[in-house]
Amino acid sequence: MNLPRQALTLVVLASLLLFGVADAQAAQAKAAFDPDKMADMSDFDPNKPVIPTGDTIKIAVVASFSGPAAVVGQIYFISVQWAAHDINKRGGIMVDGKRKLVEVIKANHASQPAETKKVAERMVLQEKVNVLWGTDGSHLMKIINQVADKYKVIAQSASALSDELYDTTNFSRYSFMSSFSTEQIGRAIGFYYGKIRKKEKKFYILGQDYLFGHSLADGFKKGLKEYYPEATLLGEDYHPLFMKDFAPYLQKIKASGAEVIFTGDWIPDAENLLVQARQMGIKLPFANLFLDEPNMLHRVGVDGTTGLVHVSQYGAEGGAFKTPGQIKAYKAWNTLWKTKWGPPYNTRLYEHGTGNIGSYIQQTYWLLSVIERAGSTDPEKIIKVWENDSYQLLNGKVLTMRSCDHKAIQDLHVEEYVPPAKQRESFNIPPYFWYEGTSSVGPSVAIPARYVLPKMDKSLARCKDKSEAGE
Amino acid sequence: MDPTTAMYVAQGLHGLAYGMLLFLVASGLTMVFGMMGILNIAHASFFMLAAYFSYQVLAFTGSFWLALLLAPVAAALVGVLCERFLLRRTHAFGHLGELILTVGISLVILEGVKVFWGTESLPIHVPPLLEGRLALGGLDYPIYRLFVIGLALVVLGVLAAVLYTTRLGMVVRAAVSDAGMVNALGINVPLLFMFVFGMGTWLAGVAGVAIAPILTVFPGLADQMGMDAFVVVVTGGLGSLWGAFLVSLILGELNSYGVQFVSQLAPVLMFLFMAIVLAIKPMGLFGERE
Repeated sequence: MNLPRQALTLVVLASLLLFGVADAQAAQAKAAFDPDKMADMSDFDPNKPVIPTGDTIKIAVVASFSGPAAVVGQIYFISVQWAAHDINKRGGIMVDGKRKLVEVIKANHASQPAETKKVAERMVLQEKVNVLWGTDGSHLMKIINQVADKYKVIAQSASALSDELYDTTNFSRYSFMSSFSTEQIGRAIGFYYGKIRKKEKKFYILGQDYLFGHSLADGFKKGLKEYYPEATLLGEDYHPLFMKDFAPYLQKIKASGAEVIFTGDWIPDAENLLVQARQMGIKLPFANLFLDEPNMLHRVGVDGTTGLVHVSQYGAEGGAFKTPGQIKAYKAWNTLWKTKWGPPYNTRLYEHGTGNIGSYIQQTYWLLSVIERAGSTDPEKIIKVWENDSYQLLNGKVLTMRSCDHKAIQDLHVEEYVPPAKQRESFNIPPYFWYEGTSSVGPSVAIPARYVLPKMDKSLARCKDKSEAGE
Repeated sequence: MDPTTAMYVAQGLHGLAYGMLLFLVASGLTMVFGMMGILNIAHASFFMLAAYFSYQVLAFTGSFWLALLLAPVAAALVGVLCERFLLRRTHAFGHLGELILTVGISLVILEGVKVFWGTESLPIHVPPLLEGRLALGGLDYPIYRLFVIGLALVVLGVLAAVLYTTRLGMVVRAAVSDAGMVNALGINVPLLFMFVFGMGTWLAGVAGVAIAPILTVFPGLADQMGMDAFVVVVTGGLGSLWGAFLVSLILGELNSYGVQFVSQLAPVLMFLFMAIVLAIKPMGLFGERE
């Protein structure tokens, strides 16, 4: 009889500790996502979205919905629509004296700058949207921000990552960057190798030759200088977008004696780089940002993907599922994926509502929470609430909006990819792996926000007397 | 072989392999654009279509070799239908009509692959027989890339043999040179041109299948190769198979050694070479027709 009682005591103590920690985290944030308040999502189908009309809160998802990058628009849409569907089933949000539902509108920029301006302006002037949500490509987000600034509507940068979007030249007080940013990402990898892993010392940068690739590389170099001065950077090369043959670059890197390749390449470059490296017998780990797309990982297989080091804005230490609410929210998505959704949303890209998708969903919940607390769709009232706001995501992470330049301060996570049998360290509920046919997230290390504060442009008048923490 | 020499030799082989891939795509274009004078912007789309067809054949049969056999033929069939029912009507009205029409065809193919195969990338693996690397005196080189080099050489040989040593080839060259005269001799020139167009798209198809295990098969695949193929055809000289072959090799090596020695300039070397050649020889290296 004694043993069960002791066990019970331990469980109670552990629960108190766990909820104590959770409460402490929640206490840091002004608002939090509460999975217990989630609506019954069993009728959610991205192919047959329930879109309210009339007097609604309108969010335009400005993204590629056609052309080669159409998949990106699909990912954004399902993420934003998921949050909107949930809020609508709860009855909407009380703004300007009445409850309003959330209407998500697809705004196709087809990856074209001219089209981005046109469609963003059409969304503002014709559709009268309250928020422009974007997008794939910092150069396109810059245009969206310009439109937001001109017409005084809120823009949310949920996936464009360049720091320069919020420097003194480009800053708009109507736009908020709720995602992580290039310098944070680069420095997080530098911190991981210098302060946590402390193993490999020779690095090589291979990136895409445009603003994003260079900005990310600069962040990594800064991270190495700050946190790993003993490390050697053996070389850096930048290739054009949509490179066909990576073999010459890889041959050069192989000959350099590098132990790690740092890259911010996204698909298709990311896939071609990884596939061709493994075909050439180059088994070096890639410290990366976008080598996490499941189709690509399956193509390379377990061996070729083991040891990849991935930086994530939606990671978690010691298992992704720590609370019943997290499990409930995960299963709500995954069950629908298994049983309900048709093409294109039934592929393995959409299997888990975590990772980037999880981040986009939670960033959208943050936006809706801000609107709810502002009690209005008036941009000035939204700005007032969002500046200095903090929000706790489903995974327990807290985002804080730095008021002077509208960038999110947040912990990041560096994840090591391991074979399926070892993925239970991260996927800590049955079946205890993310994917059976590829390595995926295993050990995940949090990089505290104070080590990877977003880059601040001190020449921006609003930030002149502020510390990087925004104080 | 010491490691440094091995690296330089490997870079040479990479350049050769990439050049051969380029040649496979460009050889079809040089027949259609160079010889027949049809401005086919959709050429690279047929290349992409064949890559998707190969995925489908692989999904049904599991055989890469069957995919290599069937997918280019399927792409060629689509090409033949396009020539017969669409391009033939616009050819008489010059390049503007062809340009608009083939841009339209490429958009239809793009949206078609998205409808049938989705927007995500599709996995095509190197066949087991060609997996791994060949170790030769300190050099460790992927067997599949050696296969691509061999395949391109075989295609070049067969194409050259057909065009320059057979009666069919003679008629094709004659029809390209003076269609009216050949027609007056009782040869069905439209049928002949349809055959040549089919051959061109078949070659694009062979390239599409060959490249699928190396590159990502996704809806943007055509954009990746289209421009390079046009550079090869124009620099090599419109209609010149040898010109296309030689320029493909030069561009492959420029790319490879460019990355090794002047990495930042490597992407522009191809265009620099084209500019120099066209400045000296406006018809391209072996240009046969305007």
